[in-house]
Amino acid sequence: MKRNENSVTIPDDVDPGRWMDLARSASADDVRRALDCPMVGEADFAALLSPAAGGVLEELAQRARARTQAHFGRTIALYVPLYLSDYCSGGCTYCGFASDRGQARHRLEPDEILREFEAIAAMGFQEILLLTGERTPKADYPYVRDAVAEAARHFAAVTVEAFPMTTEEYRGLAAAGCVGVTLYQETYDPVPYERLHRWGPKRDYVQRLAAPARVLESGIRFAGLGALLGIADPIFDVLSLYRHALQLRRRFWQSGVSISFPRVCPQEGGYVPPHPVSDRFLAQIIFAFRIAMPDVPLSLSTREQAAFRDGMAGVGISKMSIASRTTVGGYQAHNASPDGQFHVSDDRDVASFCAALEAKGLEPVFKNWDKVFR
Amino acid sequence: MNPVEKLVLGGVEFDSRLLVGTGKFASTDVMVKAIAASGAQLVTVALRRVNPERPSDDLLGPLTKLNITLVPNTSGARNAAEAIRAARLGRELSGSRFVKVEIHPNPHHLMPDAIETYEASKVLAREGFIVLPYMPADPVLAKRLEEVGCAAVMPLGSAIGTGHGMTTAEMIRLIIADSGVPVIVDAGLRAPSEAAAAMEMGCGAVLVNSAIAAAGDPVGMANAFAEAVKAGLAARRAGLMSRSTHAVATSPLTTFLA
Repeated sequence: MKRNENSVTIPDDVDPGRWMDLARSASADDVRRALDCPMVGEADFAALLSPAAGGVLEELAQRARARTQAHFGRTIALYVPLYLSDYCSGGCTYCGFASDRGQARHRLEPDEILREFEAIAAMGFQEILLLTGERTPKADYPYVRDAVAEAARHFAAVTVEAFPMTTEEYRGLAAAGCVGVTLYQETYDPVPYERLHRWGPKRDYVQRLAAPARVLESGIRFAGLGALLGIADPIFDVLSLYRHALQLRRRFWQSGVSISFPRVCPQEGGYVPPHPVSDRFLAQIIFAFRIAMPDVPLSLSTREQAAFRDGMAGVGISKMSIASRTTVGGYQAHNASPDGQFHVSDDRDVASFCAALEAKGLEPVFKNWDKVFR
Repeated sequence: MNPVEKLVLGGVEFDSRLLVGTGKFASTDVMVKAIAASGAQLVTVALRRVNPERPSDDLLGPLTKLNITLVPNTSGARNAAEAIRAARLGRELSGSRFVKVEIHPNPHHLMPDAIETYEASKVLAREGFIVLPYMPADPVLAKRLEEVGCAAVMPLGSAIGTGHGMTTAEMIRLIIADSGVPVIVDAGLRAPSEAAAAMEMGCGAVLVNSAIAAAGDPVGMANAFAEAVKAGLAARRAGLMSRSTHAVATSPLTTFLA
């Protein structure tokens, strides 16, 4: 079992230890069994990540598309992120918002938030994701809660990606109209986790790992999970992520999980990911998730290039962001700071992205929720 | 030949025995053409896909232009209270008294919650809705829902979107045997032959969405389902021959009897 310098270990029900060998060296027969069995289990998922499965990537893609179509239809749910603030108390080595970066910090004030919401609503979006950095006095729980309450007046679905909160705080977000909270563990491996998160509240691996359970316990409907691919061994992270999702599904039967696939690319902000994930392997990871979890929303952001996103839409991926700005604000006027949290690789506007989806026989869906379900 | 009796739901008559859903289509245009090809007169629409602010994203607008009866569904609700609120809003937006009560607390497998479905159906039937409840294939629950005033019962063939067909056939037979309201198989059908089998078995109608929307040619598949439903009903009316499970014995066992 992996143990970091502070003796923090990964919990048993997330630890992928026993499946690591299979994910690295499954045989062609293991892969065939995984593809043919009616109920894909943990061993099958591991086999689908293996080099042997990579050899039959086209077959994985065909399965993934069939399963996506059966459950989600020929549709892609669309959402848009809004960064409320780039103040941060975290020291994440890989992040453009880390507190030792010299850039000027901003946060949106209530009147600016309102103008951003109006501009985003005018673009047609009905699902918005509100983001902040780690907890700071400038962007604390009441600030996020108030932004959620205002967003709930403008959008059918409001989700949040911020710092880990208490169950009580999550209840407050639910009451304000939040339907989902996304919180990436970044890496599930406690050893690099400690090295990469140099200071701040995010150093607490266990607290962060337990946050999605608190989200669902509070009555928020969806917990979004993810690992930042590239910062640690992707096999370890992807297997852990899968087990984390399984565990939450078993525990919170009236809630849902969704999974995102953020990938760090080498050109960003000088940080070179030690475990780069290729396009082919990222596709394989997504196909494996879709085959193993046919009914879980799988999301891909504008971190990825247009060609990759177009290829993955409907072939595993069921949800996508578009027209994203990763700077604070920036939708209502182009006065936002130039430095975003990450580089937007797919910078198409809403109309051209929708046209690309439609050309693939996919319907972009802006509204797939209703205020009545709050 | 007697005229084919109509499907009657809440006192309203329908010629078509095929209901269709409107989710999962590649475009509104394909959806509209598929509905036309299906000949469906009852069409379900999810409240969460109603978006009048963006007509290109709105399912309700194009449906109101068709000569059909809208059946708003409460998909997204995880309990009776939410479903009741959604049903009332659906009636306001669509002007239809029909509602498909759909309560699935688990957003992954989307299996209906029997307890909450019963509670919501009871309230909505009392409020004058024509209630069509999506339900587990449970013969006891079916009678309970009939007793509280549902206009039909809609047991699932298998889980939504799976295309596993009539995995609940034995339970659906028991439901049909005792039901005083039409039995509409909803969810899980993949092939028109399965729809025909449901009609032969005695179902009042079938509801299909994924099997049409995810077909290679949704319009062609909608037409195929329409034909299959008619064929299944015609076969039932014509009377299927009895099925023999074993050969007739050559040495009779009862010759010793007078």
